[in-house]
Amino acid sequence: MQQVHTSLSQVKAEAKVKAKKRKMKNVLTITLFVSPALIVYALYVIYPILATLNYSFYDWSGSNVGTFIGLQNYVQLFNDSIFWTALLNNTWITLTSVFVQIPLGLIMALMLFAPIKGIKLMSSVYFFPFLMSTVAIGLLWIYMFDPINGSINQLINFFGFENVAWLSGENSALIAVLFVIVWQFAPFYMILFRAAIVGIPEELYEAAEIDGAKPWHKFIKITLPLLMPTIVSSSILAIVGSLKAFDIFYVMTGGGPNHATELMGTYMFKQAFVNFNMGYASAIAFVMFFIALIVVIIIQVLDYYRQKKGVFSE
Amino acid sequence: MNRFFLLTTALSMLVVTACAPGGGSGTESSSGNGSAEESDSENKVLEFWYIDPGEKEKVYEEAVARFEENNPDVEVKMLRAANDAYKQKLAVSMSGGNPPDVFHSWGGGWLNQFVEEGQVLDVTDSIDKEHFNELALDNATFENEVYGLPLGLSLDLVFYNTEIFDEYGLTPPETYDELVQIIETLKENDVIPLALANQTKWPGAYYLMNFASRIGGPELFNEAFTRDGRGFDDPAYVEAGEYIQELVEMDAFNSGFNGVPYDEGQGRQLMYSGQAAMMDITISFLNNVRTEAPEFEEKLDFFVFPEVEGGEGSSADVGASTGPVWSVAAASEHPDLATELIKELTSTETAEAYTNRTGSLTGVSGVEPEDEFVNRMYQIAEEANHLQMPYDQTLPPELAELHKDTTQALFGLSMTPEEAAEKMEAKAKEDLE
Repeated sequence: MQQVHTSLSQVKAEAKVKAKKRKMKNVLTITLFVSPALIVYALYVIYPILATLNYSFYDWSGSNVGTFIGLQNYVQLFNDSIFWTALLNNTWITLTSVFVQIPLGLIMALMLFAPIKGIKLMSSVYFFPFLMSTVAIGLLWIYMFDPINGSINQLINFFGFENVAWLSGENSALIAVLFVIVWQFAPFYMILFRAAIVGIPEELYEAAEIDGAKPWHKFIKITLPLLMPTIVSSSILAIVGSLKAFDIFYVMTGGGPNHATELMGTYMFKQAFVNFNMGYASAIAFVMFFIALIVVIIIQVLDYYRQKKGVFSE
Repeated sequence: MNRFFLLTTALSMLVVTACAPGGGSGTESSSGNGSAEESDSENKVLEFWYIDPGEKEKVYEEAVARFEENNPDVEVKMLRAANDAYKQKLAVSMSGGNPPDVFHSWGGGWLNQFVEEGQVLDVTDSIDKEHFNELALDNATFENEVYGLPLGLSLDLVFYNTEIFDEYGLTPPETYDELVQIIETLKENDVIPLALANQTKWPGAYYLMNFASRIGGPELFNEAFTRDGRGFDDPAYVEAGEYIQELVEMDAFNSGFNGVPYDEGQGRQLMYSGQAAMMDITISFLNNVRTEAPEFEEKLDFFVFPEVEGGEGSSADVGASTGPVWSVAAASEHPDLATELIKELTSTETAEAYTNRTGSLTGVSGVEPEDEFVNRMYQIAEEANHLQMPYDQTLPPELAELHKDTTQALFGLSMTPEEAAEKMEAKAKEDLE
């Protein structure tokens, strides 16, 4: 018996060692496969973020060595009225993206399924803006918005209104660029929603019809709830994209006039490469990163609860 | 978990060492180059960065070819980058410790930024100061040391359409009051008096600089800049702002000018199409006309910004700017050769080609343009009693931006002249004292 015992414990121990070895082997394999991506990720994402955080504690012009000034950049930043304007403008883009762009994308997607003649053609026409480069779009719309010869103003004139100097008014400039952003990115959401709508089983609609549901009810009770995951992921894309917005504003207004369309991104660029305040620009960059991080965490948490409890969808 | 991290670390080290042979061979081959350089001394490379395209680029290429002929063992690598991209690229390369040997600048505060960081080579002893227009060279001279050689010189003039002026019996104004009369006549006839593309902010800044110099005299800016005498809150600056707003309120400019970018050409288009009659801009406008609307040149003429009655300045004080100004990076491995290159880039031969083929003026003295039109500009520069370099190129970057921002806000009527002057003075106290 004893022998059996020992041999059994031996076997157990051996099995343990084997399992350990196998586990080790697994870990090794996994690490091997993960490490290239991990290294690239660490080198190009984690390291720059930490480096930015580090720079933001310095008064540094970009070359030479900076002087350590602790949190002074952040103190200055929170007292900087231009930064608050920029933050507010970013908020406007976020709101427009979520509450105008995404619904518009949804409407366009629904229209693609409507029995309208020539809608196939329209689907590619709708998609065109998204295919063009942002700089080209910016330049195109600068000409369209031209205060004297622009086609937008000619159209307005036709209806008997006065010319509007779109890009030079401190209020109208933001509206004009927001309009272009919606025009450019709504098609992207249209494509996402179209794909999602195709995935909704036809039987659900048939069953609803048998129960006597009106089209509006079908939309509210079937389409919208089943599109919720797409709407959530679109919102994440839209929000993060809005916080990082830069190019179209840089091309169309350069953050002007008088900082009326300044964004965190354009302000960071100006501080870094026009004013040579790399330390201050790093502080802006880090705040941008931090805000984006917080927002994404909030959305993820909300989405987690939604999936768990079904807060938003039935 | 610990073991996992240990493993990842070990693994990443492994990957790094695995990469090392590649890196090693890299250094080997470069050291191989080094030995080759020693043996037949053939691979000296100078990097040369500039921004101008077209005919100017060709002039530089020819100068570089002459330099390479005289120095057969040197190869010059030329790299062109567009304006804004260039500024960013150079700043990054400077901070990365790997700047080009020879680079473009506009002199003034932008160059001084790098000079103060010790990034630019002092070339005072290698050049002949007499070779250059004194006022132009001053713009690249800091504390009596020369850090750049000015090839290009530009003036700020008011261009106008002679056809429109003839039609309404107008003559170029000599005083501000005459200018106002012209503006009124033009407006009555539905012509935009002054074309302005002010999204980029610097075209409008010329009005502030001109008015300030006409009212407070040409020394006003230097006093404010060197913090010796009057400041940026001087009544002359406030008055200059008031003149600007007066022009805006009488609708002297095309509507929506603060949203019209300059480079895209809508402002110039107003001139070409005869919708607008005048435009206060640098003489690079002539070069634009010649490439964009050559037929317009016969209607084109210019005058110097009019005088303001009772002001201390006169029309002999002209707005000007330098650029390209060639400098050598302090980190250059071949400082002597790089200095030779910038001397070739500002040789009389280069300067003659530059002025005659690009319709520009040059910072090299004694080079008279053959073109009659350009020659008249040359005479203005020669006879000028003061050349006022643009503030945004003289001031340190942050103050320069504030100057342009406040001026744009003046044009947009969203800031009072007093506010703008106070903001400037407060920032100047911070940055200049």
